Amino acid sequence: MTKLETLNILTSDTRRRDAYDKVTGRANYTTDVTLPNMLHAKVLRSPMGHARIIKIDSSSARKIMGVHAVLTREDIKKYSESELMPVYGYFIKDQPIVAMDKVLYKGDIVAAVAAESERIANKALATIRVDYEPLPAVTTINDALASNAPELFEEPPVGIVPAYGEGASGKLRSKKNICYTFNYETGSANAFNKCDHVFEDEFKFSRMHHLHLEPFITVASWSDDNKIDIWTACQNPFPLRKEISRIFKKPENDISVKVSYIGGGFGAKNNCKTEPIAVMLSRIARQPVRFCLTAEEGFYTNTQHAAILKIKTGVMNDGSLVARESEILLDSGAYSDGSPLVAEKAGYRIPGPYHYEHLKTTCHCVMTNTAPAGPFRGFGGTQTTWACESQIDMIAERLGISPYQMRMNNLLDKGQAFVPGESGMDSDIKLGLDLVAKEINYKNPPKEPNRGIGLSIGFKDGGGVNKPATARIKASTNGDIFLQCGTIEMGQGAQTALPNIVAEIMNTPTERVRLMPIDTNHTPFDQGTNASSSIAVMGQAVERAALDLKSKILNFSAEQLNCKTEEIKLDNWTIRKGNETIPIIPMIMGFYGGTGFEFSGEGFHKSPNSHLAPLEAPCVFWEYGWGAADVTVDIETGQIIVNKLVVSGDAGKAINLNVCRGQDEGAAIMGLGQSLFETMIYDNADLINGDPLSYRVPMARDLPASFISLTQEQGYGPGPFGSKGMGEGGILPVASAIANAVYNAVGVRLTELPMSPDRVNKALLEKQYNYCKQDTSRD
Amino acid sequence: MKNTTTLSFILNSKEYESIEVPTCVTLGDLLREEFGLRGTNLSCNQGVCGSCTVIIDGNPIAACHTFAFEIDGKNIRTIEGLECADGSLDPVQESFAELSAFQCGYCTPGMIMLSRALLDQNPNPSEELIKEWISSNICRCTGYAMIIEAVQLAAKKIKESEA
Repeated sequence: MTKLETLNILTSDTRRRDAYDKVTGRANYTTDVTLPNMLHAKVLRSPMGHARIIKIDSSSARKIMGVHAVLTREDIKKYSESELMPVYGYFIKDQPIVAMDKVLYKGDIVAAVAAESERIANKALATIRVDYEPLPAVTTINDALASNAPELFEEPPVGIVPAYGEGASGKLRSKKNICYTFNYETGSANAFNKCDHVFEDEFKFSRMHHLHLEPFITVASWSDDNKIDIWTACQNPFPLRKEISRIFKKPENDISVKVSYIGGGFGAKNNCKTEPIAVMLSRIARQPVRFCLTAEEGFYTNTQHAAILKIKTGVMNDGSLVARESEILLDSGAYSDGSPLVAEKAGYRIPGPYHYEHLKTTCHCVMTNTAPAGPFRGFGGTQTTWACESQIDMIAERLGISPYQMRMNNLLDKGQAFVPGESGMDSDIKLGLDLVAKEINYKNPPKEPNRGIGLSIGFKDGGGVNKPATARIKASTNGDIFLQCGTIEMGQGAQTALPNIVAEIMNTPTERVRLMPIDTNHTPFDQGTNASSSIAVMGQAVERAALDLKSKILNFSAEQLNCKTEEIKLDNWTIRKGNETIPIIPMIMGFYGGTGFEFSGEGFHKSPNSHLAPLEAPCVFWEYGWGAADVTVDIETGQIIVNKLVVSGDAGKAINLNVCRGQDEGAAIMGLGQSLFETMIYDNADLINGDPLSYRVPMARDLPASFISLTQEQGYGPGPFGSKGMGEGGILPVASAIANAVYNAVGVRLTELPMSPDRVNKALLEKQYNYCKQDTSRD
Repeated sequence: MKNTTTLSFILNSKEYESIEVPTCVTLGDLLREEFGLRGTNLSCNQGVCGSCTVIIDGNPIAACHTFAFEIDGKNIRTIEGLECADGSLDPVQESFAELSAFQCGYCTPGMIMLSRALLDQNPNPSEELIKEWISSNICRCTGYAMIIEAVQLAAKKIKESEA
């Protein structure tokens, strides 16, 4: 980590660098890409939750004027295995480009058409006749695990289990309809024997859709010389290129993936989504194809994981946590997508930031006949924080300890390893808890009927598992700086933060540094824009590239000036030597000739591999989301009114304070929606609110009367100047803080999300009923 | 049956007369495809999210949910028409930029047009009124607080520039 005594550049420039593009409407998204002769794709989706496809008749569609390509399983079958491998997925390759034998959820893609307009494509799709043989559908976790449940995948799809370190393991198809199971264990189960109490609780977590406003979209062009160009809204262009190469059997240097601004991702836009169909249709039509989903189709493309979390926690009378066993069941939907990775993280994060002697965790990915679930902001951590932080309060209540003290007694200290072999905590967690407790007036809470307060600490490992990132920087003769790296600007502020890090190190105004457009042909490798990694992982690669560039320029200048490198400093593309200011440009022209030169620097970062770390590499940084809520429960209607919501993240060092605030607040309001009302509602195989009109997301009027976000800068992050990532922390603590506040207010414990008025009412009635029952028994 | 119609309207201060457009085209598509005004971002196509908000005769309207023929005789402003002729930004744009009241930016042109319409109709909006207006558009990134602050700042800037 570079420590500079004073940060000159960062403190003087607080604007986001994408401001002009975005406030003037000039920002280009993939939705704005048009190419000559571009066709438009639309798809036919399954009306059934689970069915075998008997016959597809697409002959009429092929005859319609303006239709240039039709894609069904019959077209896929025309290609040999050396030409096409028509399935994809992260760890498990189970999702077909178009359905082959079966459809696995309502919304599964059966056929695709590329035509001169979307209207013609839709007209052609309407003529396609599909005969289905309906099969029983399993649409909940429990249905899928029932002994008489049908198996979704009759043949095992190809899949891998990654290398794990100490205590962790993974298994493909561990049981019927479970595509992947992650296990982790440390310490001896005997630890439970000495516990004064063992508490077992179960929690249910709901499922949201990302509802990123820019739809899923790809423009693909398969040229006559078999080169593939892809413009796409994708968070991880390099893994996408690898997958496209594998599917279409093309060398990676024949495939170029280009990503512009992304209009919101929140995890959904990782790996193949609209890309394979766009590429396949372009291959058939030999014209560029634009495939843009509607917002409704987005709901059928990727979602968060609903979950059931069972936790058994052993504690001492004084509230000390000793041992925990847990079983998490994730509703993965019909295809595995990112589920195994989410399972890994949910299974790993279930302890929360507390110390235990023994842990045994299992997380299963359960396949159901619903839309595929994948990465979603929080990535398993939202599910685990919901359960973990609710149970902390429940245990505290049972033992008669204050929930604040229960946390304080058990929190890991700064520097203390999460589990054996892991990196240490890189924030003072107690400090953060004190901050939000003070802000919510924990010690002197409002004394009104049906009003209460609650605390929570969201927790996840940040920066991805074993994630490499590379960056390249070059400076022209004039000192104009080009930064090349694969981090996508999708709202999180990378286009501001990363160039500003370079500007600070190069001691040059920020406007002299530009982040260059992303094209996998030229951009150095990056694993993807995810896991809150832009600052903590790519930031370190960028920092090293800048230091490399700086040292090359200083060495060159020292040589030209016949002095030691230590005697000179870089200052806005001049050399400062004592009181002397020497321009660099004439030195470059003098040595390299009149056309000048470009100096360049390279930077790389990856957490070192270690078999002692359960996930094979120690975590890059730890992401916390401290939360506190003050609520009033309307006992007539069951409505929860959030009077005040406080969230706090630790930026380590904020490269841009506005960006940090925006990350925390945006994530927190997403969490508020999940807490109170936002959820995908399935009625058997039918998603009944899968469109923006009936799917309720938070609006400005849903903001709590008081909404406070506090950006901490504790300074212990591994990123440049002590920074760390904070894109996800804010979503984590909200639901449990509200549930804990509701308990504090009216004495009912909600264990299922969202905490809608009907659930609150039901809980209140149950409480009243039990109270009356006790009352009667006393008589 | 004729499936085109002839329209006259004002778009970003420029008068258009007898423009022939298909009757089935939405205003959103007309702006983006025929006039190349790509700052109007289409998202939900249901008139729900407000990403495509433009100002028609002073009112914020979802362009995805308006037929092109409905603009006959009307005055339309899009995000591209908000900048001054010298390229300087409108106070609302300036405020969103200054306070970073955006993230991914996809909803931003719509939010800015919505805010501009609000301030045209009510130069002194209370926080409650701003919340009420902003609640017609979805922003999935910011959590809205910074947008509300930007509208307040814009109101102040407009007042100062008029004083």
